[in-house]
Amino acid sequence: MDNQRPKLNAQELQQLQWLLGGVLSLFAIWSVFYLDVEALGAVLAATAGVGAALLRPGLPARVPGWLHKAAFPLIVAGFVFELWAEGQVLPAMIRLDLWLILYRGISYRGRREDLQLIVLGMFLVVVAGVLTVSVAFAAQIVVFAACALLLLFLITLNGPAPGVGAAVVAPNVRPAWVGRMGHLQLLRRVIACADLRLVVMGGALFAGVVVLSGLLFMAIPRFQFENSLFLDGLFSGKARSGFSENVRFGEVTEITQDTGVALRVDVSDAAQVPAALYLRMLALDEYDPAGGFRLSKDLRRAAFASERTVSRLHGPRGVRLAGRSDAVWTFYLEPGVSRYLPLPGVFSQIQFREVQAVQLSPSLLALALRREPATMTAYRMESPQLSATLPDPTYAAGGAAARRGPWQTLMQGPAAAGDQARLASLVREIGGGATLSPEAFAERAGAWLQQRHAYSLSPRVPAGDGDVLVRWMESRAAGHCELFAGSFVLLARAAGHPARLVVGFHGGSWNGYSNNLTIHNRDAHAWAEIWDGEGAWLRVDPTPGAAAPMGAVEPTGAAALHEGGDRGWSARVESLRMFWYRRIVNFDQRSQLETLHQVKETVQIIGQTFREMFGQGARSLRRWLGQPWTQARALDGALLMCAAVVLSWLAWRYRTRWRWHKGGRDHRADPVRREAGRWLRKLARVAPDWAVDDPAGREVREALLRLRFGARATWPEPGRVFAQAAALVRQRRSRSRAT
Amino acid sequence: MTDSAQAPVMADTRQTLARLGTNMRQYIKGKDEVIEQVLVGLIAGGHVLIEDLPGVGKTTLAYALARSMDCAFARIQFTSDLLPSDVTGVAIYDETVKEFVFKKGPVFANIVLADEINRATPKTQSALLEVMDRARVTIDGEAHAVGQPFMVFATQNPVDYEGTFPLPESQMDRFLLRLHMGYPSERDELEILRQARLGYDAIAPNPVVTRSEVAQWQALAAKVFVEESVLDFLLKIVTATRTETAFRAGVSVRGGLALRSAAQARALLQGRDFVIPEDVTSLAPAVLAHRLVPAHAPGDALEARRVVEAALRQIVSRLPNPA
Repeated sequence: MDNQRPKLNAQELQQLQWLLGGVLSLFAIWSVFYLDVEALGAVLAATAGVGAALLRPGLPARVPGWLHKAAFPLIVAGFVFELWAEGQVLPAMIRLDLWLILYRGISYRGRREDLQLIVLGMFLVVVAGVLTVSVAFAAQIVVFAACALLLLFLITLNGPAPGVGAAVVAPNVRPAWVGRMGHLQLLRRVIACADLRLVVMGGALFAGVVVLSGLLFMAIPRFQFENSLFLDGLFSGKARSGFSENVRFGEVTEITQDTGVALRVDVSDAAQVPAALYLRMLALDEYDPAGGFRLSKDLRRAAFASERTVSRLHGPRGVRLAGRSDAVWTFYLEPGVSRYLPLPGVFSQIQFREVQAVQLSPSLLALALRREPATMTAYRMESPQLSATLPDPTYAAGGAAARRGPWQTLMQGPAAAGDQARLASLVREIGGGATLSPEAFAERAGAWLQQRHAYSLSPRVPAGDGDVLVRWMESRAAGHCELFAGSFVLLARAAGHPARLVVGFHGGSWNGYSNNLTIHNRDAHAWAEIWDGEGAWLRVDPTPGAAAPMGAVEPTGAAALHEGGDRGWSARVESLRMFWYRRIVNFDQRSQLETLHQVKETVQIIGQTFREMFGQGARSLRRWLGQPWTQARALDGALLMCAAVVLSWLAWRYRTRWRWHKGGRDHRADPVRREAGRWLRKLARVAPDWAVDDPAGREVREALLRLRFGARATWPEPGRVFAQAAALVRQRRSRSRAT
Repeated sequence: MTDSAQAPVMADTRQTLARLGTNMRQYIKGKDEVIEQVLVGLIAGGHVLIEDLPGVGKTTLAYALARSMDCAFARIQFTSDLLPSDVTGVAIYDETVKEFVFKKGPVFANIVLADEINRATPKTQSALLEVMDRARVTIDGEAHAVGQPFMVFATQNPVDYEGTFPLPESQMDRFLLRLHMGYPSERDELEILRQARLGYDAIAPNPVVTRSEVAQWQALAAKVFVEESVLDFLLKIVTATRTETAFRAGVSVRGGLALRSAAQARALLQGRDFVIPEDVTSLAPAVLAHRLVPAHAPGDALEARRVVEAALRQIVSRLPNPA
């Protein structure tokens, strides 16, 4: 009964509003974890502050008044300083938002302040969602929206009442509701006051809106958020470590392992995944002892085709694919990694999920976007050719002439004569004075480097004069992949073989839940390519730990990947993101339509199945009825009818009993009381004066009244009373028929 | 309460109550329903306000009840110069014992007839508040218990307002029932006319009930079982008065509790140890009407009463009966 339900009073509503505001703030604050923004301190401080105020609502009263006065100017000053010092707008705005949420979280809030809190939280959630485009965004926006709707509802409820909405005198003056707030007690009250039907209906309505929004999201054409909101323009720097376009060599290097995910690869057939996957991003030619390896401007100009704005890109022309392959690899590149897209080899075609401005270099086998994307970039590659050999018709066609002009940097070594002499000496030591083929030299040089140097992420190059790489080669110091690969390139060039340094990713882990390859920033790698003198670049990986310096044939690693697959908790979380990417993000117009068609077909199939089921039943019944009637069939039919009638009657008769046993405490479902009530009504209808002049009737009425309204312990035997009532009804009916 | 254990007690109670009713009917003719409601008030431990014209038997009814029981009875004639101490008692200095001694007022009885209560000033009326609520009087910080059982039997004239002080709503709320005697039927009035006129002192039936028996009934009535659907029904009536536009304000929580107690008492009076919806519906006007104020108050109290009772009857009739 609705009128009977207790209602929350004004103070309890205020308490609920405080709780919801806190929860909403925490959701908004935690959304920053998905962003690549340095705001750990602000996030932790805001979490601690808002969480403490949430648990101890009396806490804001202890915050000194001067802090409230100084808070806003301090926060704004901090924001201006960050802008001036770092020049990045969005991270500074996010931190500003966090501090403002913290301030609002530890102050008593009125109607206006709660509305501000919703706006502040919405900013964080929307920014996080747009920049990450992740499954977390969907979940978070749903929870946030539910919290915000409830909070707005409470603000509307609390606001107009005089003296209630204006209950907050100052941010640190304790309102009346604080003293009586007990979380458990409030929870009990909310449960007691909640109308289950209203909650279910509200939840269903909200779920309906979410589902409808999801369908609309799938149906509407995708567009690039970052281009629409100019959010990428607000990021001016790169926050991730890992892949780098330039390879520099210092005397002391310290590489920090970045475990963040750089790339996810979804492969159509796991058997095609090699055990040691190389994903190239850029080849570097120019060597400068001071600046290290980089892509020379001339080669960049010569090697890259002019920029094209396309959603579909064909593979390098002139490169013949070895056999037809139906393999399709889908790449999901995280933001902040690079504008060069990782490629496993030559391909027939690449499709982007939206139109992109790209430049392809067949010679370097590199694909560059115009700028580093601020959001996840997805592209689908068809027929990738995984090979340690990269044909380069352009360089081959140029022959000796090609080794001049923009390609001359492929033979560049240390500029100093002393360094060149020392390098030549090392080459002689490797080759033993003989002139070796590129393959043979690569084998020997790789083995020589691995024999002299161990692998280390913190190498120490001995101090001395001359080129850093030459000094390192002469020593027996440990080194990392860039030192190994760079040294090999210099050695090869000194031996007369064109060589270049390639940067990209190597390795990765197989996610056993979502069956995809996950490549982390720590998998960033450098290796070398040596010209075979005939028309192709050969991959050489001299770093210890590589399968072999020269990998002509790629071993299939599907089984190994499955065996060593990552099945930890983080892989499970990662699989959710992969699921999201597969289902939602990677939709182009065609797959979007396919999905909608699938939804439509599924609904149609379900409807058709039901229609067929009923139709078949109806047909069978018609057929059965149409057959000649025999005695046995008539008996079957009668039995069936009887069974149906009996079952229906039993279901109707015992429905309340079932409710009683299931519900237990619902007195309205008590079968005995209901039955007694039924007989009371029936007797009153059949014989209105039944209990006046008839002692037997009076006795039955009293017994029925006791069964209907009396204490259970005082009940007479219900079956006997109902039987007496039935007999009385029969008697009265027969008497009335007789008269 | 089990059927077997309580059956003799219930039978005894019913018989004693029947005797009490018969005793009262000797002096009050044709008013069985009013007698039943008075007994309900007695069993429920409540107070009764009889509101009707002069000369219809209000005082006689109180006398008949009080003298049918082995109880102390007191009558207070309320007038505008009556003081609170005239009702509750006063502490006077006793020369013999050299200290103040509390001299009990007329409320220190079991049945107190407050005749024409609305003629007293509000201050004096309020003196009855504590004693009606808690059955005790506090004088000079000392509490004095009145008789047990304790029942106030107040009467007032709803028509003649000259020199009266209408009872405030807070005091009205403390009466369990408001009853109306009404004129007797012609047959009953003829019977009354046939009898010789007797003074109040002549109302002296043999006491058929002891104080302990009344206390026992009151304890028994509180244990009468009220099934959930009957409670739901009762609550629906109460909450409907709060949303009904015919009333300025709905019935208080005390009003709901009073209706439950009255229904339990009526069940006991009829020899039942459980309440049926009829107990609630039959007593709802008597228990609730005086707690309600019509939204558009007519000038006449009798008319106001009729409006309220009609609205209440409509509420009760439109609610589904739990049977």
